[in-house]
Amino acid sequence: MSSGSLPLAGALAVAWGAVYLVTQVVTEPALGVGTTVLAGVGLTLLLTLAYPSALRGPRSTRSGQRPPGRRGVASRSRHTIAAVGRPMPLRSGLTAEAAMRTARLLRPLLGCDAVAITDREGVLAFVGPGSDHHNVGDPPQPRTSARVLAGAGTLVVRSRRTLGCAAPGCPLRTAVVAPLAIGKRIIGTLTVYRVDDNPPSRDVVEGMAGILSLHLELAELDRERKLAVDAKLGALRAQINPHFLFNTLNTIASKARTDPEEARQLLLRLSDFFRYAVRQDGHFAEFGQEYFFVRTYLSLEQARYGDRLRVRYDVDPRVLTAHVPVLAIQPLVENAVKHGLANKVEGGTVTLKARVDPLTRTTSIRVSDDGVGMPPDLLKKITSEAVSTPEGIGLRNVSERLDTLFGERYHFDIRSKEGEGTSVDLRIPLG
Amino acid sequence: MRWRAARRSRSIRDGVIPAGYDSLDEYDTAAEVDAAFRTLRRGALGYFAVFLVAVGGVPGLTLTLNWWSEGQLIGGMSPSFVMAAFGFYIFFWLLGLAAASLSTAVEARMLGGQETDPAEREGGA
Repeated sequence: MSSGSLPLAGALAVAWGAVYLVTQVVTEPALGVGTTVLAGVGLTLLLTLAYPSALRGPRSTRSGQRPPGRRGVASRSRHTIAAVGRPMPLRSGLTAEAAMRTARLLRPLLGCDAVAITDREGVLAFVGPGSDHHNVGDPPQPRTSARVLAGAGTLVVRSRRTLGCAAPGCPLRTAVVAPLAIGKRIIGTLTVYRVDDNPPSRDVVEGMAGILSLHLELAELDRERKLAVDAKLGALRAQINPHFLFNTLNTIASKARTDPEEARQLLLRLSDFFRYAVRQDGHFAEFGQEYFFVRTYLSLEQARYGDRLRVRYDVDPRVLTAHVPVLAIQPLVENAVKHGLANKVEGGTVTLKARVDPLTRTTSIRVSDDGVGMPPDLLKKITSEAVSTPEGIGLRNVSERLDTLFGERYHFDIRSKEGEGTSVDLRIPLG
Repeated sequence: MRWRAARRSRSIRDGVIPAGYDSLDEYDTAAEVDAAFRTLRRGALGYFAVFLVAVGGVPGLTLTLNWWSEGQLIGGMSPSFVMAAFGFYIFFWLLGLAAASLSTAVEARMLGGQETDPAEREGGA
């Protein structure tokens, strides 16, 4: 039974005991069997449904932590500055669609007549009077947006002539143009227009442009993080130890004379190993596929180490279709072989244990060995993010990818005792 | 290292089978076959538990719930009779089907290689 189900089983036993006591012992006369069973089943359902929520803990109280505001402001919450932070479309980057949605959001928020957002190439969105001739795709206005893009800072335009619109019937009179920047790099502008002679508040527009810039910066960070994860996966693929290849080829060469059939099988397995490592595109794969990769790797290592390397798989049938991060288990197994058992004369056993807990919706994977283990200082060094050791490269790569893929929703734990072995536990959300 | 053949449904093609092997097609290590066996056993035990609960539930209901023996369903048959006459057969059929599907899925995922193009496996691109 998985560890997550054990407390639930206990709770259910206690609940049924309580139902029996209340309906059969305490109550006089005792209630009927049907009522007792009904109460028991109801309680069982309640506990079973509530259990995963109880394990996840209380819901985030973010909405309750909002700073108290005046009633009037709260009632207009759709049009407050804070509203910009919630569904900000620019969080996905400066695209035409995101810019249009942002402009529509900002127009009532800023109490202005028209809003335009441009990138370095041209107008991405224009909302308000004048949209009949201020078209999406037009180049930035040379007197306003182009100057801001060139680094002139925020511009306040107080006359229609300076605005630079050639259309004779353009109703727009004044405007404030503020830069949208990622760091020091200006990537666009936010222009807020009015149809009267009072230009919008420069501070408000600058502040709003600052918020938008922050969102754009976050979008850029997201993009960079995704690229970093891709790069880490690529690094892991490329990191297949050349020594592993040399050793396996040497093993195959030595078997070619004495046992050609086994040599052929090893070659096929080696090709399977590299085919899988190279062909994984996404970030997740079925556990069954990762299991295939791991057992391919271990069978090649077993050919080299012989009876010194023993393997034990303990796999729950339900885990086979669960999705796990691609190339995440093999590095753990490789570490167990290379650093746990290779230096132990009598060899040892590598155990891969995989379970699914449907109640907590988690997949648990444990890779353990009964090898030489690690002294506490080395374990500390390996688990420390700041220090790079040859033993820790694979682990850190896996750990960093898990960080990016799951945030804080995973558990990665390494335990080791010198002379007794090492155990790596990985618990991830069931996918 | 010792290789053992997994007894798969594929027929053995022409060729000489070396001593100690069951098939030329594909080979799984002893640990892999052992793991598949343990996983299948785990699934079988789960289904057996369900079987026991269902079979044991009938006399249990007879002892605790009068309606189970005295109530009348279609054609005046009691729920207990309906269960014994039809329900069990349907239940066993569904249970067997589920167990067989699980076993096939487990075997496909835990033994043998991954499906690849034979031409590619023999050295193509």
